[in-house]
Amino acid sequence: MRRVYLDHSATTPVDPRVVEAMLPYLTEIYGNASSVHHFGQEARAAVDRARHEVAALIGARPNETVFLSGGTEANNLAIRGIAEAAEQHGRHIITSQIEHSAVRGVCDALEKRGWEVTRLPVYDDGIVRVEDVIEALRDDTVLVTVMLANNEIGTIQPVAEIGRLVRERRAAGHRHLWLHTDAVQAAGRIPVGVEALGCDLLSLSAHKLYAPKGVGALYVRRGVRLVTQNVGGHQERERRAGTESVASIVAFGVAAELARTELDARAEHVRRLRDRFERGVAQSIEDVVFNGDAARRLPHLSNISFRYIEGEGLLINLDLQGIAVSTGSACSSGSLEPSPVIRALGRNDELARGSIRFSFGKDNTEEDVDYMLEVLPRAVENLRRLSPLYQRAQAERAACETQPVVAGN
Amino acid sequence: MPYSETFKDHLAHPRHVGELPEADVVAEETNPVCGDRLRLSLCLKGELISAARFLAYGCAPTLACGSVLTEMLEGMTRDEAAHITRADLTRALGGLPARKGHAAALAIETLRAALVEIDKQRS
Repeated sequence: MRRVYLDHSATTPVDPRVVEAMLPYLTEIYGNASSVHHFGQEARAAVDRARHEVAALIGARPNETVFLSGGTEANNLAIRGIAEAAEQHGRHIITSQIEHSAVRGVCDALEKRGWEVTRLPVYDDGIVRVEDVIEALRDDTVLVTVMLANNEIGTIQPVAEIGRLVRERRAAGHRHLWLHTDAVQAAGRIPVGVEALGCDLLSLSAHKLYAPKGVGALYVRRGVRLVTQNVGGHQERERRAGTESVASIVAFGVAAELARTELDARAEHVRRLRDRFERGVAQSIEDVVFNGDAARRLPHLSNISFRYIEGEGLLINLDLQGIAVSTGSACSSGSLEPSPVIRALGRNDELARGSIRFSFGKDNTEEDVDYMLEVLPRAVENLRRLSPLYQRAQAERAACETQPVVAGN
Repeated sequence: MPYSETFKDHLAHPRHVGELPEADVVAEETNPVCGDRLRLSLCLKGELISAARFLAYGCAPTLACGSVLTEMLEGMTRDEAAHITRADLTRALGGLPARKGHAAALAIETLRAALVEIDKQRS
């Protein structure tokens, strides 16, 4: 059976060039990067090279880059670290309604411990408004955390504008106000520069960039004080204790270098595939809703709600035909509520439950899109045949069509 | 727990889909928590359920339960149908993850509503 992987926002395959680069660090170069002897120093040099590459991907200095276990840990360290460090100056955090669960979860946990959290709305385009940030800012606000690009609908948030605002406020005397952005989905897919964004902290994950799972990084602007969350060792300049996972960090470094040098070509490739896919869907399937602003979004991602059906059934049907996608339906996530991101766009439960995320990668082909456009309309049609909502809508349409037109009305 | 091959087969090739224009009873139930919906229509010949059809909106187990329920019902008597349990549906689908038990519950609830309707008509 043909297999088509369209879930690159969940994770990416490890690039063979990345595998090749990391393998020696699992075999002959196995030293602990904290050891003083030759074995340790070889590992240390490799970690330093990787740090340089990861920093280069986001225009940071190497010593502003902290390696850790992934995006979730990066978000935890950034938000908890700032909240605890700046506690005496205020306990108010501003975030958005469409953050990844890693950010949402930390904010919820802080709220239970007495912090106040303002969750900014997005509008039907899935984008936060800077005016809403201005309105939400208070004297006791210590952190604004808004993702750079959303993981479900791909919308790119105005982080650079928020960054300018935060810097202006800081210059005007609001000294303990920081900006964090979760760039896990954005990095490697669009240009990301910490200076242009004006952020103080930025989260990255390696496995979205064709590197292995279990490694990520947090950018911490020089001068920003964080309370370390993982203690018990001196690694990462006292910011994150624990022996470095050298092979994974090496892989992250090589993947970051490839992402930087191949960024434009990859973006153009996935955008072409995504756009052709969306045109095909619009032509071949009725009653679909495209979610998120069409222009201001990541080039590889498409989120579509299929009316009258539920995402999980479609996901399994596609999986049986070799196609891997994600859904915002509650059933597959294990929660009772369907995607809060799609709901935040003002869509109803039915559209949130029927949403599917298609995320393309650098190795997808035109033939993959052809196969999708052959399989998807049939799968949607088959599920709609089962749906009482669809049958009812069809009956109503038929009734409307047979209504006599009364002259003069 | 992953879905079984039987489950996936019901999802890929659902049995007895649709509505019976000549149905003797039609029942539709909704799960108020998640919004899943199942519609069941049955034709009776004496004591026997001669035809069963379903329509379903909701997560994959709700669709599969509708399919397997109608498959079981055809050829059963009213009293036999009354003895079908959630466990029977789950077993017939090769198992369901624990948190998907609501799908079998909705199917049984819809079946019970249909049986009540049959009894009402008969009395």
